[in-house]
Amino acid sequence: MALQGSSQSESGRHEQIISQFLLKSLHIILDSRIPSLSRHDLSGELTPVSRVRKSDKWFNLVLGERPASLEDLNFWHRNVMDPMIIDVILVHEGPSSSATDDLYTTSGVGVPVETVIERWVVQYEPSGTVPPQQVEAPASYKKMYQKAIVLLRSLYSIMRLLPAYRIFKQLSSLNQTYNFDLIYKVSSFGELLSRAEEKVMKQYSFAPVEAPSGRLSISLTYQPTLSGFNLAPSTPVPPNIITDYVGSPAADPLKVFPCTDKGIPATSFSFRRIHSPTSVPFQRPHSWSSGIHRVAPFKQNHPLCGSPPAHHTPPVPCHSSSPPDIYGYRIQGYRPPSHKKGISFDEHQLSPPFLPSPSPSPPTYFSSGNPFRTAQGTETAPVSIPLPNMGRNSRYTIPNSSDPNRHSLPPMSPRSTRLDLSSQESPSSGSRSFRKTDALRSGELSGFAQLYSGQKIFKDSKDDSGRFSGIVSSSGSPRVGFSRSSSRLSFQDDLDDCDFSYPFVVDDVDTSDSQTSRTPEGKEASESTSQAFPSARKSQDAAVGVLVHMLRTAPPLRQDYSCYSSQTSKSEFEGEVGSGSGFCVPRKTTDALEELKSYREMKDLLLSQSGTRVIKKEEAKPTAFVG
Amino acid sequence: MNCEVCQLKELEVEHFEIREVLRCILHTIVFHRALGLVRPKDIDSELFEITYVQCGDAELEKKIEEKIDQFIGWVEKHPNKKSQATWFSNKTERLYWEQWYINLNVAQQPKAHFAKSHHSKVVVDPGECALVERSVRRAALEAALREVLFQIIKFVNEKRDHIPPVPNVEGVSFPYEITIPSSSDSSFGMDVIKRMLQTGHPTMLS
Repeated sequence: MALQGSSQSESGRHEQIISQFLLKSLHIILDSRIPSLSRHDLSGELTPVSRVRKSDKWFNLVLGERPASLEDLNFWHRNVMDPMIIDVILVHEGPSSSATDDLYTTSGVGVPVETVIERWVVQYEPSGTVPPQQVEAPASYKKMYQKAIVLLRSLYSIMRLLPAYRIFKQLSSLNQTYNFDLIYKVSSFGELLSRAEEKVMKQYSFAPVEAPSGRLSISLTYQPTLSGFNLAPSTPVPPNIITDYVGSPAADPLKVFPCTDKGIPATSFSFRRIHSPTSVPFQRPHSWSSGIHRVAPFKQNHPLCGSPPAHHTPPVPCHSSSPPDIYGYRIQGYRPPSHKKGISFDEHQLSPPFLPSPSPSPPTYFSSGNPFRTAQGTETAPVSIPLPNMGRNSRYTIPNSSDPNRHSLPPMSPRSTRLDLSSQESPSSGSRSFRKTDALRSGELSGFAQLYSGQKIFKDSKDDSGRFSGIVSSSGSPRVGFSRSSSRLSFQDDLDDCDFSYPFVVDDVDTSDSQTSRTPEGKEASESTSQAFPSARKSQDAAVGVLVHMLRTAPPLRQDYSCYSSQTSKSEFEGEVGSGSGFCVPRKTTDALEELKSYREMKDLLLSQSGTRVIKKEEAKPTAFVG
Repeated sequence: MNCEVCQLKELEVEHFEIREVLRCILHTIVFHRALGLVRPKDIDSELFEITYVQCGDAELEKKIEEKIDQFIGWVEKHPNKKSQATWFSNKTERLYWEQWYINLNVAQQPKAHFAKSHHSKVVVDPGECALVERSVRRAALEAALREVLFQIIKFVNEKRDHIPPVPNVEGVSFPYEITIPSSSDSSFGMDVIKRMLQTGHPTMLS
């Protein structure tokens, strides 16, 4: 009984040793051949003693963190009796084709060709006969384990002596990019090598490790020389002027930002960047599918096909749960982008209801559920993003308003707070703010276009926006006051975000306005105001533009407005505001002016609460230009 | 317990190459015989396009460097002696269960002129030719060194039964010693090659 029990535990241990042996050998091979999976630098400096993982202790060989792909392998490779065949494939330029592949025609490079340069076969070969010395099972497993230690040491050493290691080292170099790449493929049966490949390849076999009921073996078929391949540093791509810079609505939605992680950006583009970021053929991740789908035959008859990249929870299309995920270069220790300092892109999901933005990107781009958005967001500074679509009750906060507020912003006039926030946001938040700014600037412009359809204001929107901001800034308190309030319109996030574009437009105006505010005389402000609103038709349009801007920055229509309703009689305003979609309806100028008046009153109230003196100076303004 | 002996192929080295060659060989041997927990460290050889693996044990590295220094010092003191070699042995309780013989043939400095050149082109600049010659020899040595490393790997894989049980330690699991010949030890008990290079004629490695 005891023997049976021990034999069962021993057989379990046996299988465990074999399984770990396969994993360890795969780890060694991939670590020495696939740059993107290599977790440590070339000098071999690994984690300190204190961080020896459990997996490292197997076979007394510390290799560092296992790539995620290995974890998947562990999952699917249930049957330890199946051989594990690892192909190290060199992707290099073949003879140039006549632009058949549109992915690679930009620089006229050749079509990439995949050549197996090494084929490792790691397997446990059962002997078929039950060994009689099961009584000595414990000692035999220990012996097997010890010999496996030596075998893996040899494997580790020989990985560095083979020709392919030089290529790996070249690719691992961060200072240079090349026109070739190394990928791998793991399977349980090897595709037949081409005759040409078979002719030139050599064989090498390690002495097998005898196991109680079989033996562990590692064998290799490899190309003895790689001099015949066209392996050269890639030609650097000439610098281009980026018109669709990051943040632009026209920017590539799948663009990846520099990753803080060690060479493993959290997107499927990581291999692109790591391997040869500037090499033209390798810029488009989609192109790797051809290489990946060599594994298609597996799908038919092997359980590994069913493997799940259930571990790969990130909703990245390229990482979808397909067998190719196991095969290598797509799996690069990918971690769900959520773990990074992330910016929720909820705000971008919100498409302004009244803004049929001509630039399609903001609403479609962000609201498409593009899983890369978080990845992109991971690269920018963490910012608390409001959740705009939480109804009109949602507490409005400028995404960066709270943060920049804590920055060393000089408490200038209240009106400039927003502008400063946005101006401060843009450099700090980097790409995110650019994206927002640009997206919303276009949205803003389009919004202007819509609201003032038929009017000439659009062409002057840029100037007017400057003046609008100036005007608003001079009496900018309402806007700021509203921003400090808790409410916002349904589309306010975009409108608010439009404000972020303002700094780019009105910085000069801000300056002048700041000066204005510092001279606490309403005159200049009023002058600017009056300048902005001549009695001519154009000034009326400008006034409407101002109004629209204020409306955008106004608190939410219904519920929050009810807070103000007690202060002023806003029934008519409420009626107008209540129909939030009313903003989508062209309104008369007089209605807009009425609304402006009401908002100004609200502003006054708020500012009076805040005790700002400037407001009082401007209290006379509304009557000045509205009347 | 039988003692396995491995005679490594002889290498023709120049004086300044001794250190790197011995580093490659000794560390490779140790890496395959220090069966405790190791953190492998890849080291790119300074002179050759060879990457060998160290155990990541600072003490071990220091000891190896000391031995190499001793050997180089010995070679400098005895330039005209027989070809030197070091041997490396693993032992347990004073019982050697494995011995490695590292055979080096340290060449003297070649003279500037020589009758024949390996190259077909006419030798015009002796200095330049010397450089070319050196690079050829270096390439040959690199290939030979690589062969020696493969030889080590092959040996450690084929001979595994004689290894004592591995204790649960880190790094070096078995005691070892590295011995270099001393001047008093004339009969080293090794199959050394007594050929010496006293002229500048370059040696062709077969």
